Amino acid sequence: MKALNRRDFIKNTTAVTAGVATIASGISLTTFAAEPKESEPVTKEKRWGMLIDVNKLTESNIEDMVNACQEENGWGNEVHSRAEQKPNWIKKVKVKDKSTGKIDTLPMMCQHCEQPPCVDVCPTNASMKREDGIVLVDKHLCIGCRYCMMACPYDARSFVHEDLNNQKTHMPRGKGTVESCTLCVHRVDKGGVPACAEVVDSDAVIFGDLYDANSKINQTLKKIQSTQIRADLNLNTGVRYSGI
Amino acid sequence: MYAQQVTFKWDLVSNYTREIMNRLLIVFLALAFSNVFAHVEHHIPNLGAKATEFKDDGKEAHKRPNMSHKDSLIMQRKMHPELLLHKRDRTLRQGVRGGRASLEKCVDCHTSVDKDGEHIPVNAPEQFCSTCHQKVGTSVDCFSCHRTTPAEEM
Amino acid sequence: MNIRYQQIEGRGLGFYALIAGLGIFILAALGSVYFMEHHGHYVTGMSNRVVWGIPHVFALFLIVAASGALNVASIASVFQKKLYKPLSRLSGLVALALLAGGLMILVLDLGRPDRLIVAMTEYNFKSIFAWNIILYNGFFVIVAVYLWMMFERRLNKFTSKAGLAAFTWRLILTTGTGSIFGFLVARQAYDAVIMAPMFIIMSFAFGLAFFILILMASYKWSERPLGDVIVNRLGNLLGVFVAAVMYFVAVKHLGNMYLAENIGIENFILFGEHIYTPLFWIGQIVLGGLVPMALIYHPALRGNRSTLGLASLLVLIGGVIQLYVIIVGGQAYPMEMFPGKEILEGYGGIAAYSPSLAEIVLGIGGIAVALIAVTFLVKFLPFLPESLADEVADPHYKTK
Repeated sequence: MKALNRRDFIKNTTAVTAGVATIASGISLTTFAAEPKESEPVTKEKRWGMLIDVNKLTESNIEDMVNACQEENGWGNEVHSRAEQKPNWIKKVKVKDKSTGKIDTLPMMCQHCEQPPCVDVCPTNASMKREDGIVLVDKHLCIGCRYCMMACPYDARSFVHEDLNNQKTHMPRGKGTVESCTLCVHRVDKGGVPACAEVVDSDAVIFGDLYDANSKINQTLKKIQSTQIRADLNLNTGVRYSGI
Repeated sequence: MYAQQVTFKWDLVSNYTREIMNRLLIVFLALAFSNVFAHVEHHIPNLGAKATEFKDDGKEAHKRPNMSHKDSLIMQRKMHPELLLHKRDRTLRQGVRGGRASLEKCVDCHTSVDKDGEHIPVNAPEQFCSTCHQKVGTSVDCFSCHRTTPAEEM
Repeated sequence: MNIRYQQIEGRGLGFYALIAGLGIFILAALGSVYFMEHHGHYVTGMSNRVVWGIPHVFALFLIVAASGALNVASIASVFQKKLYKPLSRLSGLVALALLAGGLMILVLDLGRPDRLIVAMTEYNFKSIFAWNIILYNGFFVIVAVYLWMMFERRLNKFTSKAGLAAFTWRLILTTGTGSIFGFLVARQAYDAVIMAPMFIIMSFAFGLAFFILILMASYKWSERPLGDVIVNRLGNLLGVFVAAVMYFVAVKHLGNMYLAENIGIENFILFGEHIYTPLFWIGQIVLGGLVPMALIYHPALRGNRSTLGLASLLVLIGGVIQLYVIIVGGQAYPMEMFPGKEILEGYGGIAAYSPSLAEIVLGIGGIAVALIAVTFLVKFLPFLPESLADEVADPHYKTK
């Protein structure tokens, strides 16, 4: 049996796999007893978004948001990467108006555009937008070309510069691929809210379905004035800001 | 003259032998091929902690309805890439959560624990994934991103 | 007069020394790729702000030059200039070799080069990068067919058609390469349609400079006659192309300055206090533009091959610098994320980039791959005419 080589194995396996596949095709894969039921695919009827009221957030609130994201998704413990190479899914940005001198501090992350430039430029379809508006990187297809990072107007994406281990089970991350805020998709799919929205006052960061007329985010957006960053690019972001 | 005849007969014999040998070779190869299964089935040295416990309890892991346990295992063994691939795209691109196939669950059952009670990465040498994958010389790409040990207890 | 093509002998010490020298560069490049891929990109100077570094500079430089190197063949078979005809085979070869070198760098700098198969099987047709993958692969096929038409006597009659196809394809290819940058709305340095035609003109200059150097070196080292008519004609052409590149650069920058939103980036490149400004003025404009033009057009230096060689070399060095300013400089300048506001913290400022040795070695390795491919192939296939002396090559040659 020692003489078994790779070619024999693969030849044999292929034949049998075909056989098994034929048998299996007659059986519905979802008929297993005691299996947790699969959820339905997400649809276009929802569009997840976030409204950040800058006036209601202190600088330490924003730092809490950053820490919550790191904790939830397991980034920021890289040992070899230099500061400018470390991932930055969400960061604290401070801006000053050139005329009035007004200073605003805000959290910046992937803005989950409706027309995301990162998705347009990705050669392999790894950058993708789900039906419900969440923009993700499919790391199975990402070849690490970094074109999406060139295209993103929000500096939202990071490239993993080193080997990682001990990733979070729900958030696979790996060297040589690009990553960014996922809007905590693993929580949202189970009915939760993103980690950053959870740690601060629920009026300061409102997460919800932009299309749902009964949602808090939708109703608040109807009442107050809000902006999109780089609105001139017409990307129609899912993350909105008020107070800047 | 006599000597020539003998030689001639020997030729006949050796021809005949060669033919038999050829047939035997075919039989041997057929046996060898059909045994690959048995080989893989009986020689997995390291199922991982939970999976071994499961097996020792006599439970039927990966059992599918309308299929014997043995066939279910064969199917799992042969088709785990397809099953995972199918689920992978549905989860990532369509947000389908829950259900049967899950890499997390694979890792959960099939990792071993070392002397100190620490989990050993499932793709480490001599661990569950590596035993077969090394033999067939195919690399596993899952764990360049996915966690290789069960999630730490909260 | 009939042109006879002949392999070079390639048995001398010089030939093997050349192969060995290039081989060392290639091995060093492979070593640095192993180093970068094993550790991850943290060992490079690249970061989340400067995501494309020196490898992309060299890769795009070679890819741009590749399409330009094909021009000599196009002039012969598309524009029917007989003088260039004997050079067509070499032109196709240099084009393929340069493209191979450039693509090697590009692929080996990926985060996951092991997934090249994904890039070849999963296409997003909205992505200019994906178009480029198709354009590059197509270029290989079309130029290979073109060469075949030139080599096979029975198929010679199709040469001009194949040449036209290759010429069209290469124009589209360089448009695609330029558009990688041209359509990036996010970055002030790039978002300009002029990038595509500018890349085409750049390809004319860089490709021809490579071609002239390879032509003169191979004829000198193989001790074959190379007449002044061809060399001078190519030199003049190079001068025109260099002038055209400078014209496009001027139009791009002057045009940009007219728009208030681009004044920041123009001040940054043209009048900044950092490496990119001297690189632009001294490297790109003076060394890569004015000096080569002076060397080519100065009456006292006319017909001087050493100065033409130097001019070509400077065009190439200036080209690398130009792409460095475009690619790295364009990324170093912060994006205008909040128009009308100044960013105090969290983003902004000029991004730092200092290339690591491994990156530079990889880039140079790409050039070595291109040159070694040319060196081997002129030995094994008859790419070079036995003689390019004036009486052979010049259709208007008159015996004195």
